[in-house]
Amino acid sequence: MSATATSQSWRERLFGTPVTTVVTLILALIIAWVAIPIIRWALIDATWRGTTREDCAPGGACWVFIRARFGQFMYGLYPQGERWRADLAGILFALGGAALVFAPQRHKLKLALAALVVLPPLGVWLLAGGFGLRPVETREWGGLMLTVFISIYASLIAIPLGILLALGRQSQLRVIRLVSVLFIEFWRGVPIIAVIFLASLLLPLIMPSGIGVDRLARAVIGLGFCIAAYMAEAVRGGLQALPSGQREAATALGLTYWKATWFIILPQALRISLPAITNEFIALVKNTTLVLVVSILDLLGIAQASLADPNWVGMSMEAYVFSGGIYWLICFALSRWSKSLETKRAR
Amino acid sequence: MSKALAFINDKRVRDWFYQAAVLIGLVGLLVYFIRNASENMVKAGIASGFDFLWRTSGIDVPFVLTSYTQSDNILALFWAGVANTLFVTAVSLVLATLLGFAIGIARLSSIWLVSALAGAYVEFVRNIPLLFFVLFWYFGVIAALPSPRDSISVFGVAFINNRGLTIPLPDAPANFHWAFGAILVAFVAQWLFARWAKRRKEATGQDAPLLVVSLILLVLVPVLALSWASLATRWDIPVLRGFNYRGGFVVIPEFVALLAALVTYTAGFIAEIVRGGIQSVPHGQIEASAALGLRPAQTLRLVTIPQALRVMTPPMTNQYLNVLKNSSFGAAIAYPDVVSLFMGSALNNTGQAIEIIAMTLAVYLVIGLAVSAFMNWYNAKIALVTR
Repeated sequence: MSATATSQSWRERLFGTPVTTVVTLILALIIAWVAIPIIRWALIDATWRGTTREDCAPGGACWVFIRARFGQFMYGLYPQGERWRADLAGILFALGGAALVFAPQRHKLKLALAALVVLPPLGVWLLAGGFGLRPVETREWGGLMLTVFISIYASLIAIPLGILLALGRQSQLRVIRLVSVLFIEFWRGVPIIAVIFLASLLLPLIMPSGIGVDRLARAVIGLGFCIAAYMAEAVRGGLQALPSGQREAATALGLTYWKATWFIILPQALRISLPAITNEFIALVKNTTLVLVVSILDLLGIAQASLADPNWVGMSMEAYVFSGGIYWLICFALSRWSKSLETKRAR
Repeated sequence: MSKALAFINDKRVRDWFYQAAVLIGLVGLLVYFIRNASENMVKAGIASGFDFLWRTSGIDVPFVLTSYTQSDNILALFWAGVANTLFVTAVSLVLATLLGFAIGIARLSSIWLVSALAGAYVEFVRNIPLLFFVLFWYFGVIAALPSPRDSISVFGVAFINNRGLTIPLPDAPANFHWAFGAILVAFVAQWLFARWAKRRKEATGQDAPLLVVSLILLVLVPVLALSWASLATRWDIPVLRGFNYRGGFVVIPEFVALLAALVTYTAGFIAEIVRGGIQSVPHGQIEASAALGLRPAQTLRLVTIPQALRVMTPPMTNQYLNVLKNSSFGAAIAYPDVVSLFMGSALNNTGQAIEIIAMTLAVYLVIGLAVSAFMNWYNAKIALVTR
């Protein structure tokens, strides 16, 4: 279908037959009717410069609002002078990720393990402070920074746990298989919003008295467990796609279960399930918004909270368009990447 | 010595050992958590057990489908929440399926602009969080609607404003009970007729006028029955009194916002499933059925759809369960579903976190298991029969 579509000329595509012509024209009219006011509002009649609400022309978008609150959208209530720490943590993680993608194949594993050991504690130290840096409570974290933080740290729980669960589900040992299946089906069966409530209520309850669990940590742990179950199903797809001869051959060569898993099974299975894992990661990014229900303000939460500002009444559309646009860009880029991985495999 | 070594290296012994170790570890962890929890609860003075369910709730619920009132007990509150969850799920399922099918088929259209628009919709909706849509519809769209005084009137009987959707309500529902009874009978009759027609076709090869009979039974009868019932009933039409409408039934804005968000979001995912399902039918099948002399409509009904359904059923089940779970997003805008009523309000009043969380999660797990069981049965029914 797509092959014929590309070989067609634009004229044929839009006006090939009488029916096509009529439908195209009607749709074009509808699109113009919907899109022109939106474009006028967002671009032509919009106000870009200024400092207060009074600078904005009526009838157009007031992007001044976003400018004035840009820092909050990005960092929440993180102290102004300390925001470089969030930037630095972000850059370090981005460098780590880039190194993983572009490193030569034989160094990848060592690099991944090193990054896994060094980066997460370093990131927490940079953001939370202590040991020479000014401490910043998680209450003050927010905005896009928090969305990224929760996504990364929840997947640091979810991916390893998910791999273990997927292996457990395939295991020959009955008890381990049963435990894995129960865990996966339980977390997949309950709504994530309920899990976040559950984590914020139950985690302090089941810890020995005197040990508090940070509010943000509770949300990250809850999300991590829930997504781990979905990750396990993504990894299972890769495991099932491997011919059983792979494990049999490895065993015949005298490799133990863990050696065969580590050197033979996982490298192949994970490569197959990488698109599925990416899709689960996209779902995770979207689900981080749910921390709103326990009053942690990620990007969407900050946008929502900014609507209550008495100096900026009636800015809901601007706030929603801006925050929604950022989510869309992140998820769209990730989904394109996952799709390109899939086509690369298929070839 | 060698005997001991052989014992240690025996695979069965090792397997037993590993499983026992995992089990003991997990049970130990569980016991540890439970002991901590009971200690903490004693310290905080929280009661345990399910006695609280029979206490008077005192919680006012703005949108009730059961007979619940403030003076009922907390168990009744729980059921009111479950009913609201199921209600919004059921309505969203139907609408999202319809919209999703329409968009999925539009994506396969030979008219470029139609498929491009459908594709743009899918890419837009799938890459934005559902909570965004919920908040957007609630705070962005519905809050921006006019006040009751300047409501948008739908033929003068229903009114849309920022307090929700006010619709007329029949004074005496008896006529509607008759109408729904008639519709049910018609549906059963259609099912029986279709079965009889299929049997006869298999036995004798004769076609029955299935399309005409189905149209009469599935479309004409419901339309006639409902029109008769609505004409024969006196209606309680909402009227503007002071600052708000009196009479009729108010569909709260939280419901409208949650429904709109669930439908628009889920339709994007269903559209992809429909497209994938239809594209999975090999083109040779369609060519072969054309060669056998089947008309395009027959090909669609007898060849394409049955095979596409087989591919679509498992992912559709997942989507339907997602809608059930996602209906809990209403908690963010205080739609009174089971999560926000029970895990929110009731938990705040009683403090009995463990019991309440367990009951709430059980709702989703039980429904999820039931739906999975039904879909597995259905899947087995339509699965390829290999002879």
